[in-house]
Amino acid sequence: MNQFNYLHPASTDQAVSSASSDGSKFIAGGTTLVDLMKLYVENPSTLVDVNDLPLAQVESLPNGGLRVGAMVRNSDLAFHPTVKEKYAVLSEALLSGASPQLRNMATTGGNLLQRTRCPYFRDVTAGPCNKRNPGTGCSAIDGFNRTMAILGTSDHCIATHPSDMDVAMTALEALIFIEGPKGKRSVPINDFYKLPGDTPHIENVLEPGELITHVEIPPAISTKQHYLKLRDRASYEFALASAAVVARVEGGHIHSVRIAMGGVGTRPWRAHEAEAVLTGKPATPAHFQAAAEAALRGAKPHTENAFKVELAKRCVIRALKVATA
Amino acid sequence: MTDDSTNPAQRRVVGTPQIRKEGAEKVLGRAKYVDDIEFPGMWHGATVRSTIPRGRILAIHFDESVPWHEFVIVTAADIPGNNHIQMIAADQPCLADGAVNHCDEPILLIAHPDKRLLPQAVASVRIDYEELPAVLSIEESESKREIIWGADTSTPNVFKEFVLQKGNVDEAWSSAACIVEGEYSTGAQEHLYIENNGMIADYSDDGGITVWGSLQCPFYVHKSLMAVFNLPEDKVRVIQTETGGAFGGKEDYPSIIASHAALLALKARRPIKMIYDRMEDLAATTKRHPSRTRHRTAVDKDGKLLAMEIEIATDGGAYSTLSSTVLSRATLHATGPYVCPNIRIRSRAWATNTVPYGAFRGFGAPQTIFAIERHMEHIALAVGMDPVELRRRNFLHDGDTTATQQIMREPVILDQLLDRALAVSDFYAKRERYARENATNPVKCGIGIAAFYHGSGFTGSGERRLNSLAGVDVTLQGKVRVLVSSTEFGQGTNTILAQIAAEALGISYDDVEMAPSDTHLIPNSGPTVASRTSMVVGHLIQRSGRQLIQTLKEAANLSDNYTRHDFFAACELLRARDGEVKSLSRYEAPPNIYWNDDTYTGEAYPAFAWAVYVAEVAVDTITYSAEVIDFHTVQEVGTVLNPTLAAGQIEGGVAQGIGYALYEKVQLKNGHMFNNQMTNYIMPTAQDVPPIHVYFEQIPFAYGAFGAKGIGELPHDGPAPAILNAIQNATGESFSAIPLLPEDIFLRFASYGLDPENITA
Amino acid sequence: MAERPTLRDDQQLLDLEPLSPSDNSVTDDASSIPSNLGRVSRRTFLSGLGATGLMVSAGTFALAEEESGTPPAQENPSISRSTTINGKSYDLTGLDPRVTLLDLLRERIYFTGTKKGCDHGQCGACTVHVNGRRVNSCLTLAIMTAGKEVTTIEGLGQPGNLHPMQAAFVEHDGYQCGYCTSGQIMSAVALLKEPIGTTDEDIKQAMAGNICRCGAYPNILAAVKQVRGNASA
Repeated sequence: MNQFNYLHPASTDQAVSSASSDGSKFIAGGTTLVDLMKLYVENPSTLVDVNDLPLAQVESLPNGGLRVGAMVRNSDLAFHPTVKEKYAVLSEALLSGASPQLRNMATTGGNLLQRTRCPYFRDVTAGPCNKRNPGTGCSAIDGFNRTMAILGTSDHCIATHPSDMDVAMTALEALIFIEGPKGKRSVPINDFYKLPGDTPHIENVLEPGELITHVEIPPAISTKQHYLKLRDRASYEFALASAAVVARVEGGHIHSVRIAMGGVGTRPWRAHEAEAVLTGKPATPAHFQAAAEAALRGAKPHTENAFKVELAKRCVIRALKVATA
Repeated sequence: MTDDSTNPAQRRVVGTPQIRKEGAEKVLGRAKYVDDIEFPGMWHGATVRSTIPRGRILAIHFDESVPWHEFVIVTAADIPGNNHIQMIAADQPCLADGAVNHCDEPILLIAHPDKRLLPQAVASVRIDYEELPAVLSIEESESKREIIWGADTSTPNVFKEFVLQKGNVDEAWSSAACIVEGEYSTGAQEHLYIENNGMIADYSDDGGITVWGSLQCPFYVHKSLMAVFNLPEDKVRVIQTETGGAFGGKEDYPSIIASHAALLALKARRPIKMIYDRMEDLAATTKRHPSRTRHRTAVDKDGKLLAMEIEIATDGGAYSTLSSTVLSRATLHATGPYVCPNIRIRSRAWATNTVPYGAFRGFGAPQTIFAIERHMEHIALAVGMDPVELRRRNFLHDGDTTATQQIMREPVILDQLLDRALAVSDFYAKRERYARENATNPVKCGIGIAAFYHGSGFTGSGERRLNSLAGVDVTLQGKVRVLVSSTEFGQGTNTILAQIAAEALGISYDDVEMAPSDTHLIPNSGPTVASRTSMVVGHLIQRSGRQLIQTLKEAANLSDNYTRHDFFAACELLRARDGEVKSLSRYEAPPNIYWNDDTYTGEAYPAFAWAVYVAEVAVDTITYSAEVIDFHTVQEVGTVLNPTLAAGQIEGGVAQGIGYALYEKVQLKNGHMFNNQMTNYIMPTAQDVPPIHVYFEQIPFAYGAFGAKGIGELPHDGPAPAILNAIQNATGESFSAIPLLPEDIFLRFASYGLDPENITA
Repeated sequence: MAERPTLRDDQQLLDLEPLSPSDNSVTDDASSIPSNLGRVSRRTFLSGLGATGLMVSAGTFALAEEESGTPPAQENPSISRSTTINGKSYDLTGLDPRVTLLDLLRERIYFTGTKKGCDHGQCGACTVHVNGRRVNSCLTLAIMTAGKEVTTIEGLGQPGNLHPMQAAFVEHDGYQCGYCTSGQIMSAVALLKEPIGTTDEDIKQAMAGNICRCGAYPNILAAVKQVRGNASA
């Protein structure tokens, strides 16, 4: 790792003002940051430790939703009784990710900011990477791209967003609360992530010095929820394709549905087209199939990941089946 | 107490589940592995490696921003002796000198007191190369468009070639009812021991070189260091530290890292520690040889094998290292446990510009057993026979001859093993049930078998050449010490050898300890490889124990019904007479073992372990995932010396075999392992391993310790073909290459489409 | 021939002092080989020579050299902070913030029972407890354990006084080479307090973050089940 200054502020205000300078990063669980600092991919000059800020509460909201502090550990969130009862898709997504040790360390805020597993991004000697070094090119497009994205890619970057929690939060339409030098604001999760376009090094809308303080999850449209993760081994492994589904079924028809995909997009992928196709339709395999086709329309496979197009469709279909069963 | 070697019923120690000798240390976190050890004034070493697969070094630049005067730098020019790491041939340089022949080839070494500076310092060395065309696959090497090895030999690009013949293959085709062909490939496999390679070296003018480290074969390292440093035997000392897994990956590689650490120690005049990090270990050290095996087989109308023609090609990497012996074992296991009157096998190990491949549990056998056991499935289909019955019809029996015309004099109980495997796995009932259920279930289950053997010990004249010496002594503190160069790396060497000594001497397991693995203190009982430790080395311990008892009876009044107390008292009488209490035995080949290296005929192995494995899989044809859901193993390995440890060997080998079949893929970019992290080279976790059922039959082998044969490698031979046979049973689809990944299954099924109306699950 | 050093209880082998922090710039160069090396001070190098034990007073162990060293620049005044490891307090003041908990344990305090298998949170061999919860020490910055309680395998049991999980591992042969064993045991002990289900599948899932290449998984499962079965819920 490169050297850095370490700051341990006692309040959110202090944290925000400490982190406004160039090269500052917040550190919570450190599972992404310390990993990438060891690889010289992240080289912050200052780390601002936010673990002791009063942001570790999970509280029910008057409207029936849930407020989750940014410092809540992934394992605590996954096992929280309210989450298990009302937001099963979130609990399932969390428990499918990483390992128990990493889940004990990782936080809600940190997981929202998890960075890609693209091997070119993670290896400073592996060749050009626009995300790591803007303007140098993308090595994955003509290289090893088996685990790369098929949705939301550009000629500059095809790196997959690796998170499970963020996909579930996307299906649950979470609202992300941010505090920064210019004050407080909130951003719907669907507006939080950016597509790579020609600026893949910019992954979300956070400005310098902005800290995620908490997330609000509105009441789910239904408790019929499922997170399905397809991957190369049973655990401790990133998704080849995943789907988070929340479906409200009435009289055998889909009244409303939320679908988000992981492992296939350059950001957590909300499948609006699939939802539109499915709304009001019978909850049957044929319509699930149509929804899946809509979700993957526009998918752009690369030399090694064409199988993901079909796999992602099947993942959506199966997730819908399980959720609506 | 007497030596009860002939009566299993009277055994007190052998055959019982004794607790591992080093067990308490391991659970307490007190076992000392090489990186746990520090010496005062120790510096740390690192390696600068080639970034191209083939070429010439033109210049080496040291970036000015680094204070190089603080570092010790070693190049090939600093090597006092031979710039070779000699395993069999002497073609692998210790440090590249002018030419490089693979990515990650070591070029120079640096050392510094602060190990945190090393990665950046290594990255600050820039090397100018003249690149040459690289050969990166077996096929490219076969084309001979580029000769990268052996230009001055009669077999350019070929490290080794065997031709093994029996009967007359060419005349057999015409009488065949059916001729079946197939081609089967296996990929490279990384050992992924959880402890990376590491060594500490020190040098002094009077003591010479001492190395401590993670290794399997102290005397291999000793021999290499003697050559690299031009030092006599007594000026090189090799000490094995607690070793965190090996599986063959620390058979030859330690000679390289030990030489590197010692070169730095020599120049720095201080102790040097070199520990590889995971990415370096994955990229730069040995892996299992990739292989391609082609079969052409003639069978008669009843499914009897008439002729087998087999062509084997392995990828040996850039230097020959162990490729010839891996090829030998691959060749000798290629026909499977079957009788066939006409056989021709032609096998070659090819040179490519990749990191040299090396030993890995099974040592060539997993590669060719995969091929034959998949091929038997195809033959069964072609002749319309049940694959189980096809195998049974062709099994070797007592008195049959193998491909090398070895007569099976020891009992061969394949029928019995098969029957038991079919029974314990409920094979036929499951197969029938799966066939029924699969019709309406996109998750298709299947069951498949593999039958195989694994030759125990070194091939042919290998054990004679090793000429192993081992034995026991008794310390002043009243402990019996086992004197061997066989090392412990989790497989149970310490425990079973102590059990053998205790049994042979009529004393308690707790009376026995292992002498430190230190070449100054132990005789050379050969390397810890080839599933030879229990059978060959254990037998030397057993003989030494018997010999000692005999001596004590003759010279120290030990009575026939001596107690443990009597034994130690008699030892002291002997010590008074001789100054020490020690008994060593030298290897003696079992009778009737004759081997012809030129014709490759005769007794290839004195003994074989036999097995039938049954794999059950679930293939999700929607998500393309294949999962092993149950696994039964039935094997005959002679006497089981310790049932707990033996079961552990089977379970561990099966877990690795599952990885070999379904998870572990080495991705090469220009001959460099691109997926060199544990996050993208993946092996089974606890959740990926099914219940593994272990059953032993025991037919004692008279020339193995208390009847034991080899066990360590056998369990890695069977899983991959059994799993792919099960997948074929489940889906009707035949896959002939491993690792079999989801996208390979996808490509096969994608064409069948997805009919939503038929999805019921 | 060099001998293994025997340390007194109040001695530890010290790494070098941190690099001189005078210039914290990081290169943004595309070839991205960050170089702090021009700033390796003579003092760093010389102080590396012959560094062995350092006498400290009993009770609190200093982990950074106290003489003359310029502490790494902190924009806030350095706060005295200590961590507790296996019940003993260690002063982290002046410690290079880059030191991971794993390296602190192994290289500064000489608790080598916790192992480095991959150094990137991909194998679990480095598992320890922080405030009773299992974490990967390789991805934990040591300074961030200030005010917390760290437990390692050395703190779990001693010869003659094994933790029940250690004893169960011995009884069920839950190890072969032993390198993943500390991590397995620390994970298993922590999971006793986690809301894990009761089936074998639940336990395997809870232990999936500890890789074992020797394949001792079945025996590890048996050991965990035994202790779970005996422990009160």
